[in-house]
Amino acid sequence: MSDLTQTLPQVKSGPDWVLIRKRTRSFIAHAFVLTLVAIMLLPLFYMVMMSFKTSTEIAQDPLGLPESLYWGNYMAALSSMGYVRSVLNSIGITISVIVVVVLTGAMAAYPLARMNNRISKTIVMVMALGLATPNFVTITPIYVIFRDLGLLDSYLGIVLAFAALKLPLAVFFYTGFIAAIPMDLEEAAKLDNCNSWQIFWHVIRPLLAPVTATLSLFIMIMVWNDFIYPLLLLTDKSKLTVMIAVYKFVGNTGIDPTKLFPAAVLGSLPLLIMFVAFQRKIMAGATAGAVK
Amino acid sequence: MKRTIIGQTALAVMMASTASAATVLDVVAWKGNEAEPAGMPELIEKFESENPDIDVELTFVARKDVDKVIPPRLQAGTPPDVTMVDGKLVALWGGAGLLDDLGTSTEWYNNLIPSVRDIVTLDDKALSYPLEVIGMGNFVNMDLLAKVGIDKAPVTIDALKASCSALAAAGISPMIFAGGFPAMLFVGANGIDPKGISPTEYSSGDRQFVGDDNFNRTFDLVRELVGAECFDPKLQAGLDPWATAPQEFKAGNVAILPQGAWNIGQFNDVEGLNYQFAPMPSVHTDYGLALDLVGPGWAIPKDAAHKEAAAKWIEFFSREENLNVFLKAEGAYSPYQGGKATMPDLATPYTDARAKGSLILWPFSTQEFPSALQSEWEDSITGFLLNIDAANEKTLQRWDDVIEDNL
Amino acid sequence: MRRRNSLYIFTIPALLVLALFFIHPVLLTLDMSFTSYKGIGEAKDVGWRNYDRIFSRERYYSEIWLTLWYTVIVVTALTILGLFFAAMLHRLPLIRNFARAALYTPAMMSFVVVGYVWQFLYSPLNGGINVALRDLGLGALEQNWLGDPALAIYSVAFTQIWMFTGFTCAIFLAGFAGIPEEINEAGRLEGANSWQRFRYLELPLLGPAITVSVTLTTIGTLRTFELPFILTKGGPDGATRLLSIEIIDNLFGQYKFGFASALSIIMLIIVLTVAFVQNKILRDREDVS
Repeated sequence: MSDLTQTLPQVKSGPDWVLIRKRTRSFIAHAFVLTLVAIMLLPLFYMVMMSFKTSTEIAQDPLGLPESLYWGNYMAALSSMGYVRSVLNSIGITISVIVVVVLTGAMAAYPLARMNNRISKTIVMVMALGLATPNFVTITPIYVIFRDLGLLDSYLGIVLAFAALKLPLAVFFYTGFIAAIPMDLEEAAKLDNCNSWQIFWHVIRPLLAPVTATLSLFIMIMVWNDFIYPLLLLTDKSKLTVMIAVYKFVGNTGIDPTKLFPAAVLGSLPLLIMFVAFQRKIMAGATAGAVK
Repeated sequence: MKRTIIGQTALAVMMASTASAATVLDVVAWKGNEAEPAGMPELIEKFESENPDIDVELTFVARKDVDKVIPPRLQAGTPPDVTMVDGKLVALWGGAGLLDDLGTSTEWYNNLIPSVRDIVTLDDKALSYPLEVIGMGNFVNMDLLAKVGIDKAPVTIDALKASCSALAAAGISPMIFAGGFPAMLFVGANGIDPKGISPTEYSSGDRQFVGDDNFNRTFDLVRELVGAECFDPKLQAGLDPWATAPQEFKAGNVAILPQGAWNIGQFNDVEGLNYQFAPMPSVHTDYGLALDLVGPGWAIPKDAAHKEAAAKWIEFFSREENLNVFLKAEGAYSPYQGGKATMPDLATPYTDARAKGSLILWPFSTQEFPSALQSEWEDSITGFLLNIDAANEKTLQRWDDVIEDNL
Repeated sequence: MRRRNSLYIFTIPALLVLALFFIHPVLLTLDMSFTSYKGIGEAKDVGWRNYDRIFSRERYYSEIWLTLWYTVIVVTALTILGLFFAAMLHRLPLIRNFARAALYTPAMMSFVVVGYVWQFLYSPLNGGINVALRDLGLGALEQNWLGDPALAIYSVAFTQIWMFTGFTCAIFLAGFAGIPEEINEAGRLEGANSWQRFRYLELPLLGPAITVSVTLTTIGTLRTFELPFILTKGGPDGATRLLSIEIIDNLFGQYKFGFASALSIIMLIIVLTVAFVQNKILRDREDVS
């Protein structure tokens, strides 16, 4: 608002150098950042190009554009991936994990962040321990627990396994950010006789929207790309995730880029789409929360 | 609209799973995926038509992930019905009593090549049905050789050096010699005398690598190859023998690539690549030395749920016509005596050397050399190539240290 | 105060999971580290032998130093780059969402794919980078990116930084989103330029985001093995052999679960020490500002 009132009177009188300079500077800033982003994306562009090339083209002219978009690689990949089904599985599992982790993580983090005493500090440290646990030792215990609970080869089982693995991250993440929320907001709610749960749900949760968005994106990629737990816990072919389908294109003794890269592009494309859709939705929610 | 599609998919999936109330045979393998099909789709179809009451469900797990995914299942008592194993896993899982005895009185067991039989036998129990031995040697681009007037893949050291010099003079990159694998094949083929010292003498600590004539001469030979401009030793460390190196060969950028015959499938997909698969030039023989890697086999875990069906699966592979489908797709040789050759013509030089008995089994695949030594070979040979003027014993001493650590 | 304590009920599910999936396995690891366990079958007690071996060999010390050095490079670069992009994007709402998603795409690919893409970029013969340099007339700058022992660790680190810049950028953007607009407004009215506003107004308020980002990237980098494993497998001749690679090699190359467990415990202690010290410094800093 203040920008507008300041510049309004000047607009009438001839060329506005301040505005022009501001616009130029803004244009340069945009162009600069976009160029950097484009440079960062070059390796991915290189991969997509490779996925359209024939074997011979890849090594003979590594930087050239493919002579023609060779869809054969994609056709071969698609035909053997069980694509639609596995993508739906991945989306379902990923979203369920996010919901479970975000809810339990934020709930656990709230008291930990607010009670600044020894116990809560210890618990947060133990959470960090969770982040640092060597993965290989968790495999057998997790498998045995899930077998005993009868959760092998079920969607529920795989969702719970992933949720458990990502929970320390969520708690750690939320504790950090909740600590930054000023106490006075809560004091006001307390005066209105809200209980802890109400304060958490109506005051804290909306403020966490940007954090939740970021955390969800992290969980999304980790769950999407993991193939060890689906391999371990799921045996029914129809339940497998899309990364398992991609994984089949990696050999034991090396890789063939014309086979792996198209499959990789196909495997990550839904994730990218989900990411963009998700980002838009969550960000809209975040601004709405801020206005309130 | 969207809902109906999802609904239909769900319905279709449900129908598919209820249609056959048969036994589901859970098979885990690191073959049969898109990268290495190994003829599995054809074989499964045939098996299922012979056994209509059995549904084969093949799960691909890459070799390195088998170590993470299968032991929990073996230990928790819910293993797959059939699982692929190699020599290492036979020793490890079999040693822990987690694999079933397949019986030593079967026809296939008694027909095995003796040294392969030793690998799968533990305490008089046959723990695995071996599927293949697979060759390792030089892939040679014949068109590039023809450009310098050579029409035969080199199988002696002298021929190799002559080819290298001619190729280099014509501006063609002669050879890939990455320490992580290709160089190891050359070192193994020249260090191990097929009729002389057994590899177990080194790994048991009875004989040291330091001061060993064969291995010392091998490193001198590597220097000779560098002298003949076969390769730039320092460059090799930056090449991935499994990803970028095969790509260079496929593109016709390099004439000779030491690798395994499992690449034949993907090299055949490259149009216009005219190549042969030849044995490794070695001082020990005039025919080139064939290096056979003992490949994987099938095993039945102790707690398998469908042992009868699993036994049928193995019986199915033990019939020659079925095994040959697998071998042909793999580019491999039969581990059984009198097995018919299914190798393509382009592997004739290798097959010939084998036929003449110019052959060793790769000691890392037979457990004669411990796997710790394999990592050390990868590292130390790369180290040697980065500094080829260093004394041989610097490299060889490292091997002895590893052996001593593992005794 | 009593009502506050009831809040702890919220933490119970998390604690349960933690005990079951993390504390229990860590105790198992500790237990295994005193055995010669092979990952399957029976475990034989060997006392302190595994630890003796680790502390009596120079090899493991140098791997620990390399791991720490690698982490310092990666975490520093990720923090600076993430802050830079986040600060820029915070000021450019028009492209913010697009750029955030774009920067994040490398992290969306799996390690295997990223590893092999860079394998092809770094290849010394016809790799993308060397060919690009040649085409630009900069052939003199061609390198054996992964094959030169002095260079390889930086090439691997570069790939890791490339992959996760979007990750730290996203965390910092979440931090920026929590800064009340009035503060910047006030700064602007007082004539502070963009850099001054960043340095004196925003940076102090980003404390929690910096803590979270630095801690997560540090823990992640200390333990990472995927990219170095695919790119160099610890080579050439051990030049990129991080502690995590040593663990993986012992586990699955040689089935020395007992020894690998001892290494893991050492790694766990390092991670916790670093995380603890870092957290202390960063949180103190938060409190001061």
